Amino acid sequence: MQITGMLHGAPLLKHVDFPSTEVLGPGATNDEIQDLLRRYGQVFIKPVFRGGVGKKGKAGLVGRASDLETALAEKERLYFVEHRHGNAVAKAHSVTFEAGVPAEHEVYFSITDDSRFRAPTMTLTHRGGVDIEELDADEIATIPFDALTGLKAFVVANALTDIHAPRELISPLVQHLPKLWELVHNYGMTTLELNPIRMRPGKGARLTPVACDFKGGFDRDDPRVARLGLPDHVFAADVSAFEQEVNQLRTYQGQSDVFVINDRGTILAPTFGGGANSLVTEVLGDTAIISSDFGGNPPYDKMKAVASICYRHFLAQTNVLFIIGGKSNNTDILETFRGMGDALREHFSAHGPTPLYVVVGRGGPNLVRGMGNLAETLDSLGLPYRFFGFDSAISEVVNYAKGIDAWMRAGGRDDIARALGVKQSA
Amino acid sequence: MPKQDTSGSPYYLGIQNLQEIATREDRVCVLNILGGESRQVTPTSHSFSGGNVVFGTSPGRAGQVLKTSAGDIPVYNNVREGIDAGHAFNVGVVYLPPSAVRDGVAELVRVNDALEKIVIITEKIAVHDAREVRAMAQANGVDVIGGNCLGMADSWNGVRLGGALGGDNPAESLTKGSVAIFSNSGGFTTTIAQYLATEGWGTTTLISSGKDVYIHYAARDFAHAFQADERSKAAVLYVEPGGYYEHGVDFGKPTIACVVGRWKSKLTRAVGHAGAMAGAGDRAEDKERWFMEAFGVKGLFSPENPIVSDRGAVVTNIAHIPAALSAVMKLNNTAPDFEPRGSLALKPWIADDKGLSLPPELAMAPVQAPEPYDGQIQALAQQIGAVIARQNMKDKSGASQMNPKTQVTSVHGHSVLDMAMEPLEAIFALPLVHEIANANDSAMLDVAVAAEVNLVGDPVLAAADAAREAGNAPNAIMAAAASIVGPKRVERALACTRVLIDLFAHSGLEDGRDETFDSSSLRLSAEHGHLFTMTADEADDPRPKAILDAVEARNGKSAFLTFLKGLDIDLNRDALLAAIALTIAWGPLIRKRISRLTAETLPWYLRLYGVLVGASIPGENHRPGSLYNIPRAERFSQWTMADLCFLALTGKKPERDEALPLQILIGLLISNGPGAISAQGAKGAVAADGPQTPSRVQINKAMVGFLSHCGFSHGGNGFEGIAFLLEQFKDSGLSDPTDRDHGLDLKAMARSFATRYKAEKRQAKELGLEVRALPGVHHPVFKGKPVNYDPRERFIADFLERRGDYNAFHAYYRELVEALYEVGASPYVFCVNVDAVIAALLLALLWKDYMAGAMGDHDLENAAFNIFLYGRMIGAAAEIDDHINRGRNMDTRTPADRCGFVV
Repeated sequence: MQITGMLHGAPLLKHVDFPSTEVLGPGATNDEIQDLLRRYGQVFIKPVFRGGVGKKGKAGLVGRASDLETALAEKERLYFVEHRHGNAVAKAHSVTFEAGVPAEHEVYFSITDDSRFRAPTMTLTHRGGVDIEELDADEIATIPFDALTGLKAFVVANALTDIHAPRELISPLVQHLPKLWELVHNYGMTTLELNPIRMRPGKGARLTPVACDFKGGFDRDDPRVARLGLPDHVFAADVSAFEQEVNQLRTYQGQSDVFVINDRGTILAPTFGGGANSLVTEVLGDTAIISSDFGGNPPYDKMKAVASICYRHFLAQTNVLFIIGGKSNNTDILETFRGMGDALREHFSAHGPTPLYVVVGRGGPNLVRGMGNLAETLDSLGLPYRFFGFDSAISEVVNYAKGIDAWMRAGGRDDIARALGVKQSA
Repeated sequence: MPKQDTSGSPYYLGIQNLQEIATREDRVCVLNILGGESRQVTPTSHSFSGGNVVFGTSPGRAGQVLKTSAGDIPVYNNVREGIDAGHAFNVGVVYLPPSAVRDGVAELVRVNDALEKIVIITEKIAVHDAREVRAMAQANGVDVIGGNCLGMADSWNGVRLGGALGGDNPAESLTKGSVAIFSNSGGFTTTIAQYLATEGWGTTTLISSGKDVYIHYAARDFAHAFQADERSKAAVLYVEPGGYYEHGVDFGKPTIACVVGRWKSKLTRAVGHAGAMAGAGDRAEDKERWFMEAFGVKGLFSPENPIVSDRGAVVTNIAHIPAALSAVMKLNNTAPDFEPRGSLALKPWIADDKGLSLPPELAMAPVQAPEPYDGQIQALAQQIGAVIARQNMKDKSGASQMNPKTQVTSVHGHSVLDMAMEPLEAIFALPLVHEIANANDSAMLDVAVAAEVNLVGDPVLAAADAAREAGNAPNAIMAAAASIVGPKRVERALACTRVLIDLFAHSGLEDGRDETFDSSSLRLSAEHGHLFTMTADEADDPRPKAILDAVEARNGKSAFLTFLKGLDIDLNRDALLAAIALTIAWGPLIRKRISRLTAETLPWYLRLYGVLVGASIPGENHRPGSLYNIPRAERFSQWTMADLCFLALTGKKPERDEALPLQILIGLLISNGPGAISAQGAKGAVAADGPQTPSRVQINKAMVGFLSHCGFSHGGNGFEGIAFLLEQFKDSGLSDPTDRDHGLDLKAMARSFATRYKAEKRQAKELGLEVRALPGVHHPVFKGKPVNYDPRERFIADFLERRGDYNAFHAYYRELVEALYEVGASPYVFCVNVDAVIAALLLALLWKDYMAGAMGDHDLENAAFNIFLYGRMIGAAAEIDDHINRGRNMDTRTPADRCGFVV
């Protein structure tokens, strides 16, 4: 869950009274934009992406205007612009107009939990406005601090001294930066990055830090995020309808995030255990439809609900229903298999049969009872199956499932369709 | 004042040696001990570890206990109460929900000065809370393991702390040896231990670390304690992407690192907690590199390319861990701990390919599972046929389903349209065996039913005739006959089926038609032999021999008949019916498509089919050895089910494909889903007998339920379309409705009727009367477009067109809907519905007899009704069987609060 940009960032900073640049949303009228230009002389036009997208400036995705005509032309250029970074492609759906803040100094500041220190850690440099990877190590302060006492003024002051920050920066930053810890810690954030913070001169040449860009990560497991009252769509990156639906059932009792790996895949693999999930997703490659971890001993009702959603979205295209996990420690096999089997039966009842081969690799409490129950369900649905116990290497079972998938593609699916009386195989 | 440690690390680390992490001396307090997960896991941990849990907490439940095989564990409201009660502990285990974990940790460290370790099992703890947990534990000198982990175990000490490592039987996975395991995955901690045994490696200490943003006991901490542990000669790490926990760690002894999760960097967005901000240099690839540098290897280990050094190896598949470890240890001159146990090769435990032919490498036969699993699987295998879960079946069916969009009903996955295209004998067992019969089975079914149709000398016929003479409609006549075919009438046939199923159940017979099957080892007891033998009373019954002759004449194959014929006894009729029925049911039974109950009762349905068709033939036509003068041998050995139905309707043997329209009609009428009144009657009759005691359900009475729920409006209404067509064609001079050159101007006829109908409509409107509906025209679903079609009508029409068949009545209907629109009697072109096709086909079938005076209006009406009943008895059999298998006693009733009262 990430937010980038000032449109949503500025209101968040307001929660802790951290100054930020003035920002107008996509609905701004020409008069409002003109007014912003009159007061600040310059505006930045930035595309708005769902979720988080970094390095927009580098990709030429930030517009700059000092007159209305240019501002509107940049709006047109950037409103639906695409941003590519590696495999990730994001499409903008809006723009913001952000007041230019003239300043001599640009500061980089972030707070994140750093695994090297196992503590919240501040990163600070007065040479901000650029990628900090480009700076020398002695220009950057990376300081872990105590989570219980928080980011204190002295921590900031010490850090600025260490990196030899200009003295005029120290007082305003020491005054304002600790507020950001309150935002991070009390509103369920995992990461906050402000870059740049522009140091705007005010009365008596005293500088005020003004946040000009915002990047924040939020902890979906922290109810404190709700205090911010952010609308759901802010976090709805490019989440598919399936992910949206299935991840609503995510609780601490089983099931971590479920991702669509290939929406044209042919192996639907409800996977149990984080390790199994990693291994299975890796070995299945593009044949996998989803990556999932349904472990954690989910109760029957939840397992059935989750399976129903998976089937509704993907069963029609599925060649192999592949139920896979290691030897579970406490996940009850009977309960989980019964949930998945009953959901399958109901799916067939509601949507008719679909050609499917079921491969299982599993171990754990009530294993044979669970296998027996699932076998009965599959028998009654007329589906073929092969169940492996925990004494077969999980990766070999994954390869077996791939073998069945290949056979299904090469005519097996039609054979099963005929046996089920299904006319058209999807 | 924080406790001091001696690790020399920049942070507090209390555990100096893996031997200290889970010891027999540790004493445990479990927070939320009565929570769902702890209740399952803690008793096993406690018993396995020699009773190390001194107490647990659960606010408001003080005084309760958690029962375990090693004695009860007391429960207190909070930690302080437990300590005040005299319990001392050094390990806290946290099973609290995520939002309470931080407070639980605070309670443990504040209240108990003696605390050394905390294990947090809970997953999805907020990062906010994890931060504070870390800070609290550091400030108070306590080691934390987790969160989101399964705790730790020690194979030497026979102890597990916290979570469920080793599942419900820890001793099975925790084998004493020389390898320490540290794993980000709880599940894989045990799995890796089990895999190691296949190369002869046992374990020392196993740690499930969790993989939240905060890994409180991390790889660096593990490495420190591992180096100090003399028992541990090697380590296995299972690592996933995210975090710098493994960066630059020196393990000091041979180590296998398994890094999994390259796929995560291919995702278009961040996954999970760790590495939430992408591109932070802690991807799986980065971690592989860290380890390769640490071990001095140039690549990943795989069985094909076994790259190792004496310091270690990096694998990306846990199945490769044992081989990599052995290879590394070989360079260290260290042999495995014990002889290899088991293997990781593919071992299917349970499989059923449902008769499909898979390539040999995929069609692996099941192998024997290790005990105790094999014993459990064997017990399962004793079960023959499908087991179907019971549920409330009111208005539901596991057999039929009508598609509300197309209005086409399917029975066991076969649409009535498709069934209408199949020979009747191929589909009338489908409702029961769920499969379309092949040529052999069709022939066997024809014999079985043909043997039941002639009712001469049977009280069934007297009952049917009496009902007929009393002026009853065809359904009531059939019901009178069905009532006689009660349980005792089929007792012996069903008993024979049961005996045959028991005999062949585990014989290896897969195909009931396999006459080459060697049944020489199967023995029928003398007692059972009597069941199959003709009694003295039956000595004159010519039918058994006729059945056997007919099967032979039709070249029918049956493993069961072959077996029975080899017994050298005079087989009775029930024995043959049982053998034929089981021949058809055997495949689906063995493939578990149908239940044993269905297979056992199939003879009852076949007998009922024959009796119902027979009852629709007036008594005078049933003669000893012949029906409508057709000799027994001919009917048994040549006739199809459709021929018999044709005979019942017309009294004649069909010429060439004269029975085809009948087959189509019956196929179309098989089912309209569980909502149809006839289906409801059948289901109600089953529910009332109580399907949960299936032996008490009277299948013949259930047929009566279906029959009594048909009538002049439901079933008999087929005649309305015929009556309408008669009105139009009676005096038209039409001689052969199947001849295109009939010489009639159908367009003009239709226009003339449409004009009259429009006037009639206008007049009715003026008088405020109801306008008569035209049978066969319009449909509540297929309406509203400029031109409308009923897809069922189109399907049949297309089929007939492809065959080059013509039907003047159907052609008239097509003209009629156009004409109604053209004259303004309809707002758009109505569809010709499926009822019109049925009327057109049926009237064409009987037209010549009607015109010749051999049949009157009443006969046509009876014929229409009978055809409906022939079709629907097949559909009713599906509902009855389904409800017996699936339903609950009296489940079709409606609760009082959903019933209404009207005045």
